[in-house]
Amino acid sequence: MTSLLRLQGVTGGYGDADILQDVTLHVDDKEIVVIVGPNGAGKSTAMKAVFGMLNVRAGSIVFDGDTITKWATDRIVQRGISYVPQVDNIFREMSIHENLEMGAFLKKGDLSAAYDRVYSLFPDLKERRKTAAGTLSGGQRQMVAMGRALMLNPKLLLLDEPTAGLSPRYMEQIFQICRDVRDTDVAILLVEQHAKQALAFADRGYVLAAGQNRHEGSGADLLADREVAEMFLGG
Amino acid sequence: MDMLELLNFYIIPGLVLGSIYALGAVGITLAFAILRYAHLAHGDLATLGAFIALAIVQASGMPPLAALPFAMIATAVVAVGIDKGFYEHLREKPKIITVMASLGIALMVRAVVQVVWGVDAESYVRGIVRPETYWGLRIKDREIWTVVFMIVLVAALQIFLARSKWGKAMRAMSDNPSLALLSGIDNRKVVVLTWIIAGGLCAAAGVFLGINTELKSMMGWQMLLPMFAAAILGGVGRVEGAVLGGLIVGVAEELSVLVLPSEYKAAMAFAILLFMLLVRPTGLLRGKVL
Repeated sequence: MTSLLRLQGVTGGYGDADILQDVTLHVDDKEIVVIVGPNGAGKSTAMKAVFGMLNVRAGSIVFDGDTITKWATDRIVQRGISYVPQVDNIFREMSIHENLEMGAFLKKGDLSAAYDRVYSLFPDLKERRKTAAGTLSGGQRQMVAMGRALMLNPKLLLLDEPTAGLSPRYMEQIFQICRDVRDTDVAILLVEQHAKQALAFADRGYVLAAGQNRHEGSGADLLADREVAEMFLGG
Repeated sequence: MDMLELLNFYIIPGLVLGSIYALGAVGITLAFAILRYAHLAHGDLATLGAFIALAIVQASGMPPLAALPFAMIATAVVAVGIDKGFYEHLREKPKIITVMASLGIALMVRAVVQVVWGVDAESYVRGIVRPETYWGLRIKDREIWTVVFMIVLVAALQIFLARSKWGKAMRAMSDNPSLALLSGIDNRKVVVLTWIIAGGLCAAAGVFLGINTELKSMMGWQMLLPMFAAAILGGVGRVEGAVLGGLIVGVAEELSVLVLPSEYKAAMAFAILLFMLLVRPTGLLRGKVL
């Protein structure tokens, strides 16, 4: 079976310096995959490479049968990958509904099915659809950000540290939302600081350090691995 | 001094002048919020718009208000052309370079106006206009038209920004440019749209200044400071703030004559600008701090 997304030997960075060294990873259909690792390991960079925001010097990125290594961002969005940045991921001064509308900017025709889908995933948002997104709490903002990204009905959702700065209660809520999103046939690749919780909830995980793959396996296996535990999870 | 005198000689002329400032300030605030630089050629574009309307009035004999839409379209085309010819190539450079380039554009546009139309004062219609009296208020027709047109144009713009897909795209680009790009919004189209609107409003400001006073090659440049003061007073990126700011600056300039020699009228805008930047840089309606 071919993977939905496959990074093969990806090496690249922002300027001349390579942040990623020979990174290989894959995401299958309807799978939640987490990338963990210490600060500065290149976790977010790996995600940006997928989204065409990085200068990839070697290796390839294949999504759903297409080699997207050199594609422009808007073409990747059209093809079915959405990205939620870690910070500044909403339009603060626009209403929740307008945020979703902007997420579907590239879509022509009737948007009602897309709105229904997002509002059924996030019923809280529907009640407050006219509210300016900047006035919401951290957890609700994250929902708006994910809702915006889901409007184009992507096959793969990239989440850059969705639980950063959220309380444990919201973290659990975001993870539950990720499962709900996955159950609507969307694969998720996310980067996480909270390695233990994220590995416990994800289907599979990759441990990245110094821009290189170090370990991979199911979440449970990685959690049980002593070396991983000592290196990255604080014992 | 009684109330009627205050209204007739200060408040009403102040509101008219303020409406003219508002038209320019709305364009400045949009350019500031979406393109993220201070556009110093805004005043001279207004001059160009006013003189284009003069050419139409002289050639066709139509009244200046009828020439206004054509002048707005022509100035919008010029504004888009300037962007394509100059600013577009500087997009990736630090913004201060574009600010300086816009100063150069200001001088170029003014030079074109001076070469084509000369440096003497002109007017759309010769002769003296007597004000009508409404319950003791002395108001000229052209003053009513100025305020009414400003309100209509700004209201139309607000509806466009609030309701239309591309209006929302402009707000999104102003709100969070990187997320707008991630959402697939075409930055180039938003920039063209911004210049069409800013250019058109520029011409309206110039034409109404010309209708209410006279046309001079320096008319727009002299409006630049009050227009910036208005945009910052209202809050950068806030259309309704630019209108409020324009009206306040206009009235404040007229009222300043009561306590200061009239040569210092223009210093009023500068004082308001300084005061606002010191006390509340986000402006009255909480705009951006760039």
